[in-house]
Amino acid sequence: MLKTALRNLLAHKARQIMTLLAVCLGVAFVSGTLVFADSAAEAHRAAASKNFADIAVSVSAKAPPPGAAANQKSSALDDALVRKLGGVPGVADVRPEVDGSAALNAADGTPLRVKMGANRASGYIPGKDGKDSRYPLAEGRAPADSGELAVDSGTAAAGHFSIGDTITLATDGPVMTKRLVGIVTTKDTRVTAGGTLALFDKATAQKLFSSPGHYTGIDLSATPGTDQSELSRRVTGVLPADRAEATTGAGQAAQQGILVNTLTRGYEKLPLVFAGVSLFIGSFLIINTFTMLVSRRTREIALLRAIGATRRQVSRSVLLEALLVGLVASAAGFLLGLGIASVLPDILSTDGNTLPQGPLVIGPRSVAAALGVGVGVTVLAAWLPSRRAAKVAPVEAMRTTEQPPSAKRSRIRAGVGLALLVVGAGLLVSLSGAKDASEKNLQNAMFGCALLVAALIVLAPVLASPVIRLTGRITGRFGITGHLAQRNALRDPRRTAATAATLLISTALVAGLAVIGNSTGQALDRQAAAGLGADYLISSRSDTTGVDPAAVRRVADTPGVRTAGAVTDSTLFTGGGVRRISGVDPSTVQDLMKLDFVSGSAKDLGPGRIAVSSTIARKNGVTTGGRLNVRLGRNQEFTKYTVVGVYKDNPVAHDALGARTEVAKNSYLPGSVQRVLVRTDDGAVSKTTEDRLRTAVGNNPLLKVQDREQFVQEAAGTMGDLLTLMYGMLAIGVVIGALGIMNTLAMSVAERTREIGALRALGMDRSGIRRMIRLEAVTVAAFGTLIGLAGGLFGAWAVGSLANGAMPQYSLALPWGTLLLVCLLSLVIGALAAAVPARRAAALSPLEAVAEA
Amino acid sequence: MSVVPSTPRAQHTAPGIAAATLDLSKVYGSGDTRVVALDRVSIDFREGEFTAIMGPSGCGKSTLMHCAAGLDSPSSGSVRVGTTELSTLGDRQLTRLRRDRIGFIFQAFNLLPTLTALENITLPLTIAGRRPDQRWLDRVVAMVGLSERLGHRPAQLSGGQQQRVAVARALAAQPAIIFGDEPTGNLDSRAGAEVLGFLRDSVRELGQTVVMVTHDPVAAGYADRVVFLSDGRLVDEMTAPTPDRVLDLMKSLDSRSHTC
Repeated sequence: MLKTALRNLLAHKARQIMTLLAVCLGVAFVSGTLVFADSAAEAHRAAASKNFADIAVSVSAKAPPPGAAANQKSSALDDALVRKLGGVPGVADVRPEVDGSAALNAADGTPLRVKMGANRASGYIPGKDGKDSRYPLAEGRAPADSGELAVDSGTAAAGHFSIGDTITLATDGPVMTKRLVGIVTTKDTRVTAGGTLALFDKATAQKLFSSPGHYTGIDLSATPGTDQSELSRRVTGVLPADRAEATTGAGQAAQQGILVNTLTRGYEKLPLVFAGVSLFIGSFLIINTFTMLVSRRTREIALLRAIGATRRQVSRSVLLEALLVGLVASAAGFLLGLGIASVLPDILSTDGNTLPQGPLVIGPRSVAAALGVGVGVTVLAAWLPSRRAAKVAPVEAMRTTEQPPSAKRSRIRAGVGLALLVVGAGLLVSLSGAKDASEKNLQNAMFGCALLVAALIVLAPVLASPVIRLTGRITGRFGITGHLAQRNALRDPRRTAATAATLLISTALVAGLAVIGNSTGQALDRQAAAGLGADYLISSRSDTTGVDPAAVRRVADTPGVRTAGAVTDSTLFTGGGVRRISGVDPSTVQDLMKLDFVSGSAKDLGPGRIAVSSTIARKNGVTTGGRLNVRLGRNQEFTKYTVVGVYKDNPVAHDALGARTEVAKNSYLPGSVQRVLVRTDDGAVSKTTEDRLRTAVGNNPLLKVQDREQFVQEAAGTMGDLLTLMYGMLAIGVVIGALGIMNTLAMSVAERTREIGALRALGMDRSGIRRMIRLEAVTVAAFGTLIGLAGGLFGAWAVGSLANGAMPQYSLALPWGTLLLVCLLSLVIGALAAAVPARRAAALSPLEAVAEA
Repeated sequence: MSVVPSTPRAQHTAPGIAAATLDLSKVYGSGDTRVVALDRVSIDFREGEFTAIMGPSGCGKSTLMHCAAGLDSPSSGSVRVGTTELSTLGDRQLTRLRRDRIGFIFQAFNLLPTLTALENITLPLTIAGRRPDQRWLDRVVAMVGLSERLGHRPAQLSGGQQQRVAVARALAAQPAIIFGDEPTGNLDSRAGAEVLGFLRDSVRELGQTVVMVTHDPVAAGYADRVVFLSDGRLVDEMTAPTPDRVLDLMKSLDSRSHTC
């Protein structure tokens, strides 16, 4: 039987190439996305993880007890302690460290990869051999005084630094400049995954991140055979109990694991959705191809049966053939998938927003999925129709060339499809009344969308007829070729629908997300526009860093600036939770923030008097004139404040407003300024102004200078990430869709050689044949796109009304440009996909019309 | 083996000749696998005449028709349709020639399954972008008796009906010559007789020129003239044939080719 299967495989090369291609692409898509998902998750993980592999115990300073003097912070970790720890039995090596963070400017003056947690800084602490084993030097020498700096090779490459350059950087306050003297390599994944590393000499680092003579931590490695927890107990014995503590490396790794898990969970979920859809599309492509081949296979099986093969022999031969095809194609597809996974991060990374980088991770899940799709689905797709074929009487199967789908089956299909549609749409519509975007509502929305897509796919063959008749009005303008193209597309609605399915899904996804993204973006825009009166916003990246007061004055004196208002950000503890309060100057705040007061005003802000947003007012049950018991910033005491005004929720003003002097007194960096809102003369926004403002704040990499548009974009940032991923998905979906169309058409052409030959014999020229095939492809593509568009828009509308509950400014805004682009793209794809089959069809000789069947 | 040579003429398409071949040869393959399908065949198809080409399987009768109809290109020799020499034409011109001046009837009908009977009948005209002559069309449709079934798809028609649609399609564009490739090969004898009747009527009543390849002596009996091919050569010719006479000649040809 193996022989028959093998011979069968080789006998129908053209057909097998189609199948191989389909399986190969399906597997490539699935394994590509899964490997990408795993690699991306691993890279995100690496970006957030410190390696504890050779750390047995780390010693860190205990948080000072409340009320203690601030300068006592890390005084326990000094050189004396390091020496003492070196004497503890079982300790192999003592590695003190001074770690912190520092943001750098690239050579062109723009902030370099500035991101929370990605900008490491450390002291270069030479060991016994005069070198720091964590940072082997690649070039130059180690920093030796406060004017010198070393960076790692990745940072140097990204920032275009070379030895001798002067580099601008900041740790938490004003900018510093240092000369680059060395380039090191590091294995710290937090840096290699797309962060930066700055190395200072020991004294400078201690001054910046600790206090002179003190370290931020001490890592110990153990001699072989020493138990971590035993060592930890011994180390704890020599530590000053109230000021330092020891943790085992394993314990820290576990703790970090939990933290990293919560940080990266989102990154794992999204590519998995991606992979889920790809699994669906990949399986679909394979089943689709086999379904198309079924009529020919049916005849073949009938012939085998007629000459005496048993049913068992027939199905075994089919299974073997499918198994061989599946294995070969899966192997090829998996390799192709690795290719996709390795280029995907580059494609999806934009300049300002790089995905963390790391090696490809090939997990067992990817391999299992690839084999499951490649072999499992292939065998199933080949076996099911053959079983049906084997049941039919041989003579009957040989007689019928094409079995039209029975009316009963299409009625069942319509029924099932409609039921799915009603349930899915009903679920979505019922959600549109929901007031908030809670987890449960979102899950229901996702489920509803999935049902909707499933319904569309089930219904697609039923919808094919009316939709294609509609598009036929356009293709009909191309004369008989268009007419024939339309009829051919309608000839087998199931095949047309299956071919269009990939484009349908991709279009639905992209259209839906583009609409939601656009609407959200515009809502955020409106929100920000509603809240932000200023033209420029200068802000620090956290509450513990600030804009230095001198820089605020320089900003105010910058030419073109009319008003510059400093804002101090801090926290506000109400009974119900932690809120954010903005300390502002009551006289200029109305000019810089567009505050819409429900009652009261900002004029009366002052000591003991604050204004709150309407949400806070509602939650705490206060109104203007009422009193609110809150705790401000570092202040330990709850104090009663008078509410002088209630304003509509405002993303720029945050949850509450206070006088700046009042807020700054209790902020984390007393007297600091976190934001500067700038109004220019006549609201002018230009590159020159932006550059002047950057210069005014000393090009501090910790500060962001954004015009209104950039601020809005940042607010919509997460949505942007999602869209980028989805566009990547569309790209793959489109490629698969195009190849699917190509596959189907090539098969159709092969099946219709006689017909095409007859057309040629009757006087249709080659260009007419080409046009006919192309128009058919475009018709199929247009069908998929139209249905997908309809589904996507409906889904977006329904999910959007959910968002409406959470975002009052939300309203459905159609991104006409994007939608038009999607439509055009699909038509172009259709035409391109047809190129090869069209050429093959046009090359057919009119003699095909009289060839023996 | 005796050959009936046709004398070469300086002008081989005289007036009244719809199509003609001169020293037409067709060779497939080369070396050991070389097969001569046609060996210097010269033949005229006169206007308003119904010619049948007969011969045993593999004698080259289909190849002769394909070459004469511009579906296949000869290895040497010339083919003329009217006064047009086919060997000088490119693919585009050949296509146009087939479209405008030649009609086809195939053994396997070759109707487009997606088009209705009427759409199939007018297909060559539609491809050419010409409006059908409605009176002519009505007459053709009435002649083949399809008036009631014009809206049907081929799958809804019997084999005989499908071939009648194909006959109407060949006639609709009023071509200079119609070629039939075993037009009754897939039909039962009653349906076959109907189709052959229409072909003969089209010659008698409409003055159409028809050339048909067949291996059926009964079918050949409908023709005005029968030419016999054997091993790629023209071996005999008969005017006003009857099935019996054709059968007799076939038998004698058969025995002659066996004895040689």
